[in-house]
Amino acid sequence: MPSRNGTEAAAVNERMYLVRVLEDRLQALCLDGLAGDLHFSKGQEAIPVGVCSMLRPSDYVVTHHRTIAHAIAKGVPLKPLVAEILGKATGINGGAAGEMHMSYPATRFMFSFQLVGTCVPVAAGLAWAVQYHLRTDDIVVVFHGDAATANGQWHEGVNLAAVNKCPLLLVCENNHLAGNVGPEHYQPVPHVADRAAGYGVSASTVDGNDIAAVQAAAAHAIAHVRERREPYLLECETTRLGRHKQGMGDLRTKEDIERLALRDPLRRVSLAPERRRELEAEIDQALEAALKAPPPEMPTRLDSPLRQKGD
Amino acid sequence: MQLLTTPKSRTPFYRNHLLRDAISQAIYDAMASDDSVHMFGEGASVKAHYDAPQIERDFGSRVHTLPISEDGNTNFCVGASLVGVKPIVDVISSDFMYRAMDSIANTAAKLGALREQQSTIVIRAEFLTGGPTTGQHPEALFAAIPGLRVAVPSTPRDAYGLMRTALETPGVSLIFEDRMIDDEGPWAETDLRLGEPVPFGVIRCRQQAMHGHVAILTYGIMRQRVERILKSQPWVQDPHDENNLRADLYDLRSIYPIEWKGINLALRRAARLLIVEPDIVYGGVGAEIAAQAHDMRPGVQVKRLGAPRAVIPASPELHRHLLPSDEEVISAITKWD
Repeated sequence: MPSRNGTEAAAVNERMYLVRVLEDRLQALCLDGLAGDLHFSKGQEAIPVGVCSMLRPSDYVVTHHRTIAHAIAKGVPLKPLVAEILGKATGINGGAAGEMHMSYPATRFMFSFQLVGTCVPVAAGLAWAVQYHLRTDDIVVVFHGDAATANGQWHEGVNLAAVNKCPLLLVCENNHLAGNVGPEHYQPVPHVADRAAGYGVSASTVDGNDIAAVQAAAAHAIAHVRERREPYLLECETTRLGRHKQGMGDLRTKEDIERLALRDPLRRVSLAPERRRELEAEIDQALEAALKAPPPEMPTRLDSPLRQKGD
Repeated sequence: MQLLTTPKSRTPFYRNHLLRDAISQAIYDAMASDDSVHMFGEGASVKAHYDAPQIERDFGSRVHTLPISEDGNTNFCVGASLVGVKPIVDVISSDFMYRAMDSIANTAAKLGALREQQSTIVIRAEFLTGGPTTGQHPEALFAAIPGLRVAVPSTPRDAYGLMRTALETPGVSLIFEDRMIDDEGPWAETDLRLGEPVPFGVIRCRQQAMHGHVAILTYGIMRQRVERILKSQPWVQDPHDENNLRADLYDLRSIYPIEWKGINLALRRAARLLIVEPDIVYGGVGAEIAAQAHDMRPGVQVKRLGAPRAVIPASPELHRHLLPSDEEVISAITKWD
């Protein structure tokens, strides 16, 4: 029987593997024209999986446009998640949200925001409400990229969280990319963590591809936010091994990617072949069910985006 | 019903005192019955202090001053609404709505359609007194965005009732107030029977002539002006007057949703439709109404009056050229080809 720590390590490893295989399978569907231009987290899986493994189930997560890993890390069930990604009626949001606007409040996966930066002030407001309206000691985690820190919404959001003492953990997935361009175009300071000082927010930087290091840093950051009821910025250095999104070019060379892949967090993951097959079978079943599922019906909810003329 | 929210001071910079008080009263009543209603905005606590001291006194802990970051503030309030807070986001001026355009159009308006549980969010702003970026009318833009309701009340009763409805109805409601509606003058709406919610998407007939020949559809400050103009015309009062053009007057109250059924009924009485907007005519609400009126009643004659597509000059002397004059309104009512 494995130790408690051993069980937990196995769980995060399995989750990272699940994300990787699911995204690989979805990528194949994209190439076949069966899925849209999805955004994958290949190479970045250790951050959402590691951070969420240190949260309570009652803590909240808000995220950006690269959502699949975050949803799995926050416990969204696989079958309806995959159905949502493929735009089916059986999806967690009935196929209306797609990969970039998903939410599943049952596991406190609260919302995803396609527009870069928006997730930060929204998460700050959610954290405000948790603290001052619900009055619980839960916290809110918002995932964002390094490119978001060039956007006004990131700055307005961090400012609002700091001024109002909101229990908000900002987790920066720093892949050193804004779409296809590097930080020389959008970041005038060496580290994203340097930006936090302007708001009196504590910050630290960690190797985001080392799951154990992410878990340790997240534990420290979560405790800071939960106990002091104030924001904290955890910058996780990472590597995006795939394109910004499917269907878009990538300026990096094969050699660039190979060099980054030396830091692939999945290289450190060892799973029994039997367990791998079980996880793969689970994914294949979810994909098969989603592909067979019916498309959504025309939404009838008031002011739905597809509302017909004549009201 | 007596107003509980008596302001501490009046300023000459706005004229819509009763309308402002009615909105404060609606918020006060909503806060009294629902502790998830919170006010947020730039200088919100100062506004409550001067405009609605009773809110400050009884519900001060639910009035939250936010920085001058309109877009972030609106996103922040959307976040708070995810766990049941009903925010009233005060963006202050209609021009600042452009600063908050992204958070209103891309965040608030879209959330309701994508989540099982719709949030209740109210966003309010005032039309100021005029200048390039102080007094613009963006309401038609918002009326065109799916996921938003838009109201421009022209009477204290409607302002009260629409605010109450907005706070009791899941979804995102925008409520615009016009500072220059003169509700203390001789033509003011003084009926202060508050307490009744007013639904969105119901037009109100302000005046019905014995024989309706022209239906006038208007909203906001132009409702008041057209009403004043009509009341000054002898043929409106005298059914035996030679001028056989008689005008029915309707206040849209909300520009999304719009009560098409009510407009259809109005067009059964009158084959001529005059739309008077307080906004720029080009691409405005009147264009949509004109198109739908043609669909409902082919052959209907339609005219539109409103502001030119011009930058608002700072000089108050020039402001009177922006909205239709009394002569233009009378001419539009009486002269048809």
